[in-house]
Amino acid sequence: MSTLSHSGGLPPLDLSRWSKVPGLLIGAGVVLCLIGALLNLKQFGYSWLLAFMFYLSLVLGSAFLVMMHHLFDASWSVGIRRFCEHLACLAFPWMAILFLPIALLAPKIYPWMSLDPAQDHDLAAKWPLFTKPGFYLAAVLCFGAWALFTSRLRYWSLKQDEDGAARCTYKLRFHSSWGIAAFAFTLTLAAIMWMKALQHQWFSTMYGVYYFAGSVWVALATAYAIAMILDRQGLIRDIMGAEQYYFLGSLMFAFTVFSAYIHFSQYFVIWNANMPEETFWYVLREKGSWFAVGLVLIFGHFLVPFLALLRINVKLMFKFMLPLCAWIGLMQYVDLSFNIMPVLHPNGVALQWVWLDAGCLALMGGVLAKVFVRDLNRHPAYPVKDPRLAEAMGLYPEVPKAMAEEELTQTGKLSGAQPHSRGGGR
Amino acid sequence: MNSSSKSYGLIAEFTTAADILHAAQKVRDAGFSRWDVFTPFPIHGMDGAMGIRNSRVGWFSFLGGATGYTSGMLMVWYMNAYDYPIVIGGKPMFSPFYPFIPCFELTILLGAFGAVLGMMFLNRLPRLHHPLLKNRRFAQATHDKFFLVIECDDPKYSEIVTRKLLEATGSQHIELVED
Repeated sequence: MSTLSHSGGLPPLDLSRWSKVPGLLIGAGVVLCLIGALLNLKQFGYSWLLAFMFYLSLVLGSAFLVMMHHLFDASWSVGIRRFCEHLACLAFPWMAILFLPIALLAPKIYPWMSLDPAQDHDLAAKWPLFTKPGFYLAAVLCFGAWALFTSRLRYWSLKQDEDGAARCTYKLRFHSSWGIAAFAFTLTLAAIMWMKALQHQWFSTMYGVYYFAGSVWVALATAYAIAMILDRQGLIRDIMGAEQYYFLGSLMFAFTVFSAYIHFSQYFVIWNANMPEETFWYVLREKGSWFAVGLVLIFGHFLVPFLALLRINVKLMFKFMLPLCAWIGLMQYVDLSFNIMPVLHPNGVALQWVWLDAGCLALMGGVLAKVFVRDLNRHPAYPVKDPRLAEAMGLYPEVPKAMAEEELTQTGKLSGAQPHSRGGGR
Repeated sequence: MNSSSKSYGLIAEFTTAADILHAAQKVRDAGFSRWDVFTPFPIHGMDGAMGIRNSRVGWFSFLGGATGYTSGMLMVWYMNAYDYPIVIGGKPMFSPFYPFIPCFELTILLGAFGAVLGMMFLNRLPRLHHPLLKNRRFAQATHDKFFLVIECDDPKYSEIVTRKLLEATGSQHIELVED
């Protein structure tokens, strides 16, 4: 297994010159965001929302991967669990802090906030969710749930590093079991309140799943890339074999298909029903250069990763997967942009504001990267006392070929079972 | 080679999974191409030990899937837009959207057919008889014994040298199987 691993004895990379990057990103981002906010506050709000939804998808997707690990009692994902916990923990307080500009600029970003429900049937029908208190309560609920389950998942995981107690695993399973339900509810709520509400007249029951599919997709690509780097640095080399990368790659393939399936189903149902109260959302996104963006999504979001990941062996090729992971990140960003930006720029992609989009992306990315690297350095790179650690490393305990007579009687006592009627004899 | 009856190959018997895994590595390194391993259960790492490359079945299912998708699109276009054009619900005569679902189903169906038929083609199945089935000891392959068979058709095969190689791997029992 180790012969197929990427690192395969390569020396660790010198990452010291990269350590300044998050700081530079923050610096450049602050400057660009300030200029943007002064020039056009509404544009700044939309650019910030786009970058925020992008990083939020990564953070929530990582939380999903951690919870899946515990719920399925998986062994392969032990190696990626710890840094996924760190990524998930960015949700609170960091994503909550980054949400503040959206909370403040909400009346500028969301057109429904300045409408009168008595005059607008679509708004009245969504009472009381689509009211100002409803909006802010929903945000509090989302961040509250995320803070609770992400912090619990990391707390008990770190606790197990110290004592290796089975209790920690049971606690982690408990928090994953209620967490996954809270996750599904809050992720859908966030996608509706912060993205879909840009056109509050519209409805689509698939919207939450749509955001979820992209979230896990981008989280898997990020996990793959981070695992490759940590593996190369020798931090998780022992538990990342070909099998683990293969599973990550397979899941990336599965979520490529899954998100395409959701996107297509949403489009197909609306296209087929052909009702104006639904189609206007897509009509807007077929105007100007947004039509081209839609095609980029069909080919770039689905077809390119689909065909690229079809072969079994490419899922293990470092040089192939790293660019693909970056591509997946880019496509997720373009997808969210396709959801958010046409509301502000109905005539086409606003290339003159790309610098502000990049500035918001850089500022948030810099902050989150700084926190992530700090957390990563502070704790062991993988859960060192995970009960499935040996399995993840591909080590199987020796199975005894024969048991001594005494051992047989002892195992009978241990299990609490009644001794055989025939006694110890065979 | 035997003059009277043709031989099929040399069969070597092992008692543990570890033994046959190491034996397979040695046979692989000796450069044999027509040989196989029979075990009562799947052994982790055997693919690597035997030097088996990626299966080619995927190409058959890919071709099947591509055929299914294209034929679905062509079928709907031919029926609805060419042979007997009918306006339904104000939709265009042909669009890549509404035939997608039958196309998707046909992709899956013919992809699965491609996989099954490709597997049978590559494994030369169905096959009514196999020389190994005549060997009495070989029945233990479904119980608790592990077997490695090198076929006489292998270009590297030579009864004396190959037997020596198998003896060196630590097999308890080596036998020549008649065709």
